[in-house]
Amino acid sequence: MSISLQERLARIRINAFLYFRADWLKRLIDIFGSAEEILKQNAETLAKEAQMNPSTAAHFLKDAFAIDPQEELDKTLKYGGQILVPEDEDYPQSLRDIKESPIALYVLGKLPQNRLCIGMVGTRKITAYGRRVANTLSEGLTQAGAVVVSGLARGVDSQCHAAAVKLQKPTLAVIGTGIGRCYPPENRELARAILQHGGAIVSELPFNKPPHAFHFPRRNRIIAALSQLVVVVEGEIKSGALITAKLALEMGKDVLAVPGPIDSPQSSGPNSLIKEGAGVVTSVKDIIDYIPSPQLFSLETLQEDTAPQQEQADLSPLQNKILQLIGTEEKSTDQIVETLNLSVPEAATALFELEVKGLLSCRAGLYSKSKF
Amino acid sequence: MLASVRTCALKGIDGFEVIAEVDISSGMPTFSVVGLPDTEVKESKDRVMAAIRNSGFDFPLKRITINLSPAERRKSGTQFDLPIAAGILAASQSISQDGIQKLENLLLLGELALDGSLRPCAGVLPMLISAKNSGKVVVVPPGNILEAQTSGVKFITPRTLRDLADWLDGKKEDQAVQISFIPAEQEAMPSPLDFCDVKGQALAKRALEIAAAGGHNVLMIGLPGTGKSMLAKRFPGILPPLSEEEALEITKIYSVCNLIGKTKRLTDRPFRDPHHTISDVALIGGGTTPKPGEVSLAHNGVLFLDEFAEFSRTTLEVLRQPLENGMVTISRAKESVSYPARFTLIAAMNPCPCGNLGNPHKPCTCSPVQISRYQSKISGPLLDRIDLNVTLNPVQYGDWNKPAEGDTTAQIRARVIAARQRQQVRFKNSGTTANAFMTQKQIKAFCQLPPGADQILEAAMRKFGLSARSLDKVLKTARTIADLENKENIENAHLIEVLQYRPLDRKGVPDL
Repeated sequence: MSISLQERLARIRINAFLYFRADWLKRLIDIFGSAEEILKQNAETLAKEAQMNPSTAAHFLKDAFAIDPQEELDKTLKYGGQILVPEDEDYPQSLRDIKESPIALYVLGKLPQNRLCIGMVGTRKITAYGRRVANTLSEGLTQAGAVVVSGLARGVDSQCHAAAVKLQKPTLAVIGTGIGRCYPPENRELARAILQHGGAIVSELPFNKPPHAFHFPRRNRIIAALSQLVVVVEGEIKSGALITAKLALEMGKDVLAVPGPIDSPQSSGPNSLIKEGAGVVTSVKDIIDYIPSPQLFSLETLQEDTAPQQEQADLSPLQNKILQLIGTEEKSTDQIVETLNLSVPEAATALFELEVKGLLSCRAGLYSKSKF
Repeated sequence: MLASVRTCALKGIDGFEVIAEVDISSGMPTFSVVGLPDTEVKESKDRVMAAIRNSGFDFPLKRITINLSPAERRKSGTQFDLPIAAGILAASQSISQDGIQKLENLLLLGELALDGSLRPCAGVLPMLISAKNSGKVVVVPPGNILEAQTSGVKFITPRTLRDLADWLDGKKEDQAVQISFIPAEQEAMPSPLDFCDVKGQALAKRALEIAAAGGHNVLMIGLPGTGKSMLAKRFPGILPPLSEEEALEITKIYSVCNLIGKTKRLTDRPFRDPHHTISDVALIGGGTTPKPGEVSLAHNGVLFLDEFAEFSRTTLEVLRQPLENGMVTISRAKESVSYPARFTLIAAMNPCPCGNLGNPHKPCTCSPVQISRYQSKISGPLLDRIDLNVTLNPVQYGDWNKPAEGDTTAQIRARVIAARQRQQVRFKNSGTTANAFMTQKQIKAFCQLPPGADQILEAAMRKFGLSARSLDKVLKTARTIADLENKENIENAHLIEVLQYRPLDRKGVPDL
């Protein structure tokens, strides 16, 4: 079933009214028969027919007519994207299944078809532990053939996307701004790489919508809907990551959590989820085991943790010593220099090579292992 | 009667000769000063009048006109009091004919107190240096004796206007007004601050050593109390000694700002640490009567900006010109002046507004937006002029009790001097003073990459987000490291070490 261009433009218009949940918009369409019909009403009849507050109705019409749907469509097409409505064949089935299906979905890149999608969410204030976990899990899942779904936010989200992009594999980003923007701005390069490697960036917001606090919980329901299950890497008790987990549970999806130190604020969220009965993740395999029929998604078999040790075999004794010293902590160059009694140039060379090999990552002058 | 007396005025940090012409004619008693005088010069009339009377002379009640020639150049400063007073005395024939002739071979500078005594004035050193060629004996106030000695001119220092008049009339011996010619001889004292006082922080110390050796700018990012200020204060100690020429340049600037005597000896490299609430003009120089700012006071020395991110954005942006050209040009509609401002910038900042980001013992309470806003206050173009970034981490408790360790200031300074000497040989007659100031051409000639360097730089661009425009900085800094190690060519290890000092290039985004 497909819809006329006029109707599609009308849908784009009503989708711009962000103060209604998508299912309320859907209800309006049902009442009037089509979005086009809604827009033909004046505020009074709209309020009367749909039993809305008259001022809300006026606001609704104002917002709907404030955007130019043709321009939205043109801009999206210009960037090689498309605006999907639930009647379109390409509109993801998993989004159609939820109560609040987006009225219009702006898509850049290719949406995954028949692939296992795993939501990975977490805090923006990532710790070295979170980085290591996000990196390792996302890499493992991507290698196994799954698509990691996340929100392109700072911290855990970016780390998960980046791990997939590094393998030149697709990943799916659901963002809290219009697709014409990049938030946070430093992720522009990452966004470009996601599209380059066959991934997709999607949003239900108008093309140029800037970020706003209330966009993000809304966007989280799309992450939850698009994922077969959701893994919470790190997050505080009151965080977007836990909102996503809650929404996923409401949609009847499994939620897994990565246990963390009990005194780390960033792990309080996943730890509490585990207490409430969420699945515990300690490896990529734990996640795959939760998929009822992995063969459906043609997942590749996993090789158990052999890769890191092989890599370490061709390290110099000094590099091994440094890795050993760092362990699961974060160490500064000064600490490494002092503990191992090195000169700065010696340490610099060893650290640089470890970093280039992807074994260490450096944040704010502190080195930590990038995988476990 | 007409009399003319030589004196000096300032433009920027250079003096130019001014002739004060005094005409006294009969008519209604008036007293006017012409020749573009500033307010302080106009006010000189009242001081001169009182000083002449209080020195026991009669003030002529006639029509007095003072012309400061060249009349088209703006004149400011209080040094015109004495020449105007002496001119009036000569024109009113209060001093003998011999005295008037003697006066013609003098150059007079000095502010007058109402009782006729001479007070020091600003900018004496540059004025004396410009007057040196004229071969005249200079009259300076006793308070400016240090500068007069530094300049090497022949000078006398009368205490009062009366002393000067008596000396002109031959009533006083030369000794009474101290004709002196003592070259300035002062040795820099070793600073009591030593690098080995700072525990740990090997990386930061090494970065400062490289900065001193190559004239590079440094940004230190670290938690409060990690020793950023401590290190910065010790930095001037490892810089090579001032050359004669450099010392004279900074003394001239200090003289213009009337800061001589208030600061330490002029043989030390300046260390300026303005507070972060400083205004643009105070930092860069300017004002209706242009004055050098902190950047010029730090010329040939160190400008330490603590809490770098707390400075206003515009204040930081005005730093770009001096960092690029080593000079500040202040342009006004009527004239423009330039002040030298070639300094080493040592900037220090916290990693985030609350200061606890990366502190293992205290959580950071800032939101990611606050952190990125705080860090992005340092704009790209400014960051591009800072060659070395280094992160300081807290010193562990155990390190606190350790005895002094690491190299002393003297050891580091010796290495720095050796590295600077190599640069002097390399840049002979090219106008470049250190690696940090190399031109594109010089970078091409002196920073050849060793085999295998391409892979390193390629990896650095990919992993650390090293931009192509910061490549030059990497090369310049690597050149300095090679100089410190007495190597003819840059080696791969040098390049890799430089990459340690670039944490700000690694944005908070994961590697791709």
